[in-house]
Amino acid sequence: MTFHQFAYHNVVRNARIYGAFFLASLFSVFVFFIYSMLMFHPDIENGFLGNVSILGMIVAEIILVLFSWFFIFYSMKAFLEARSKEFAILLHLGMEKKQLSKLIFLETFLIGTVSIVVGILFGFAFSRFFFMIVREILMLDELPLYISWEPFVLTITVYLSAFILISILSVYATPEKNLIDLFKGYSDFNTHHIYSLPKALLGFVFIGTGYILALLTSRMTLYSFGIITIILITIGTYLFFTDTTQFILEKIRSKKHVYWKKYRMLSIAEQSMIMKSNSKMFFVVTMVTALAFLCVGLLAALSSYTSQYDKMNPLGLIYKGHTDNPYEYSHITSIMRELENKGLSYHMASFEVKKQTSSYTQYEVEVFSESDINSLLFSYGYPFVRLSPGEAMFIPYSEESIKQLSNLSVKTVLMENGVEIKIDKVYPKLIFPSSIISLNSIIVSDEDFIRLTNPYQASPDVEPGYHLFTFDIPQWIETKDVGVAIYNRVSHEYLKDHYSLPYYFENTGLKYSFILSTYSLFTLVGLLVAAVFLLAAGSFIYFKLHTSLELEKKKFDVLKRMGLTDNELKRLVNAYLVPQFFIPLGVALLHSFFAFLALQNLLRHFANISIVKELVFAFVFLMIIEVIYFYLIRWRFITHVRD
Amino acid sequence: MTILRIKDVTKVYEGKVTHRAINQLSFEVMRGEFLAIMGPSGSGKTTLLNLISTIDKPTSGEIIVNEIMPSKLNKHELALFRRRELGFVFQDFNLLPMLTVEENIVLPLTLDGKPVSLMEERLAELAEKLDLTSFLQKKPNEISGGQAQRTAIARALIHEPTVILADEPTGNLDSNNSREVLELLSSINREKCATIIMVTHDPIAASYCNRVLFIKDGEFFNEIYKDDRRQTFFQRILNVLSLLGGGNVGDLSSIRLP
Repeated sequence: MTFHQFAYHNVVRNARIYGAFFLASLFSVFVFFIYSMLMFHPDIENGFLGNVSILGMIVAEIILVLFSWFFIFYSMKAFLEARSKEFAILLHLGMEKKQLSKLIFLETFLIGTVSIVVGILFGFAFSRFFFMIVREILMLDELPLYISWEPFVLTITVYLSAFILISILSVYATPEKNLIDLFKGYSDFNTHHIYSLPKALLGFVFIGTGYILALLTSRMTLYSFGIITIILITIGTYLFFTDTTQFILEKIRSKKHVYWKKYRMLSIAEQSMIMKSNSKMFFVVTMVTALAFLCVGLLAALSSYTSQYDKMNPLGLIYKGHTDNPYEYSHITSIMRELENKGLSYHMASFEVKKQTSSYTQYEVEVFSESDINSLLFSYGYPFVRLSPGEAMFIPYSEESIKQLSNLSVKTVLMENGVEIKIDKVYPKLIFPSSIISLNSIIVSDEDFIRLTNPYQASPDVEPGYHLFTFDIPQWIETKDVGVAIYNRVSHEYLKDHYSLPYYFENTGLKYSFILSTYSLFTLVGLLVAAVFLLAAGSFIYFKLHTSLELEKKKFDVLKRMGLTDNELKRLVNAYLVPQFFIPLGVALLHSFFAFLALQNLLRHFANISIVKELVFAFVFLMIIEVIYFYLIRWRFITHVRD
Repeated sequence: MTILRIKDVTKVYEGKVTHRAINQLSFEVMRGEFLAIMGPSGSGKTTLLNLISTIDKPTSGEIIVNEIMPSKLNKHELALFRRRELGFVFQDFNLLPMLTVEENIVLPLTLDGKPVSLMEERLAELAEKLDLTSFLQKKPNEISGGQAQRTAIARALIHEPTVILADEPTGNLDSNNSREVLELLSSINREKCATIIMVTHDPIAASYCNRVLFIKDGEFFNEIYKDDRRQTFFQRILNVLSLLGGGNVGDLSSIRLP
């Protein structure tokens, strides 16, 4: 048996021990690879998501890398601790420390390589499926599978270097121990459970202050409060796990009537020990989980940007055409027919808009008639416009413009027809989305509008005006299938240098569905990252459990001899595992809950019931993952301690 | 009155190599008896103890403890049976490291859901008798071996079991602590009329008992009863041991009690 064979057999014959580590690495490679496949997709580089999303994906990828490294390092350490007895035998037989590190290196390298290869294979196999989901979400025509070297090289580089570096590091990072201590194995029991009361209280105070600050944070104090809050919460959480939990448990232990009840005594004593010896890990797990929650919650909040969208785009469908647009009649009737077929109620308003030149600015103005506008305002349920001849009113193009225009008073002459008007008012609400009308749009009285008989001076080179058909549809979200043929022709024309169609069509429902799907993609990716985080957080606990498995086995052996029923064993295991899993999760949830309260405070215009719904959904989803993971580990744990 | 009856018990371990650990073994233990079971390594002592403590089942034969046949009980009843009828003392103490000494002692009662007042009452009584008061609040890793074994004995006694099973209770102790523990066991046996079954290698430990049962290769070999002087009882034990022919037993013949 050569040295290499020895390392190989070590891994292959101890599949149970290595299995968890292998699967965790495999999963993180898998996610990373799929993610890279999406990131390097040629279509994405062409920008169907815009630049922001690529930046976001790179950031997510970097976080993923850093986290995977930390994760692998931590699991390595846990393994080395769990196997200390085995190493002691090897050292006892006269193995050099150098050889030992070589052995560990070889083993890690083997596991690492296999998990990279299998992870990439799985990832590649599933990427077709993943792209299909993405395509559905984004409503793309196609998102083909592609083959390129980048995702492969990136994944292999990141993970191989991680495995190699960490296997070297973790050997040298472990402190020298006497052989005899190694033989005795890993033990937490030698640590005496001390806590300091000030620190314990400080934990409470820091977290509490952090929460209060989070609630008080406003736009003005964002940076100062935000940073202080983060620092307070971080330190507070650390103290919470090192001292506060000990303090609470000690308080319970001093009350015998509560404490000396059935298996409660055992589980509380156990928890105090677990909390003490694993406080650093719990701290990391809590922070990571909070980050995952935050990331998912943020995405969910972004996707409910819809509430605002509704306000900015008051109209369901808009059809704009030249005055001599030959398709006008057929298009409008087809849209109306489609709407009727769908059973959507609508209110159509048609506008005749004339272009004129203003003597005041020498620029063109778009002139709407009072009665046309009123017909639309009627369907909105907004107050009507009443203008006498010579009076005119600005049409605002954005929320901010309402304020700016209200202070403006302009006397001008519409030069083509010599109509004198005074514009000193602005309509107090947004009537049209800003993409449809020009910045210089005014309403004039019907009397003045009739007098505008001479066309715009630049015509016929420039269109002298246009016809506008607006459809106010209460159920605007459901219009995404209306006028698709027209929309496709318009969007196709839009890609050309010169827009030559005599009409333009806008479908708010369809645009909305695009925006929604972009954010859905974000959410999908965010969920994936969060899932990796959570799974890793669970794995940390699993590895820690693994290292103490022998001791646990012995403990349950004693208890079984003393007469522990099967039910009690299960309850005891629950009482042992549940706090380890769900206290960090609970604290993380609480942290992110306050973070969201602060966020909602900041983004008050995002504040909407729909955020809550999506947040709850996201959190429930993550909770379900964690619960499944908990049951999986509980099942493994029970089978281990039973025999 | 017979408290434990072993009748034609056989235990066969199936596996790649079938191994007969106990073969047609029969004996009885009376209430208040202090019995030692001796035999060379591999004679089936620990298997026998496991069978009595119901964590293992005999292949054939009957074990009756206090008129109860554990083989007729289901898993749940078995656990309750062990909890109420049996007490255990182990070679390596097996105290739970996260509990304090006093918590370790009351553990059998807490598992059974007994009231705190009862626990405290019994704890106080045992702590005084076994001289545990000075270290009740300490953790198992902060006390000496002798103290640990006394704690373990207190744990085995607190629920007043029918039978106390001790597996090499002096195996990890020095001679002074050994003597202390053995005297304690025999005084408990006398004063509380507790039935104790002790498995041991050590002829000195065995000499504290009322009766010593020798087994060899899973079969009954011999038994001897205590006489007036421990010294002569010890000598007789050694004689049997040398007959047992464990090979190295000859070395022991020169041993004299201090």
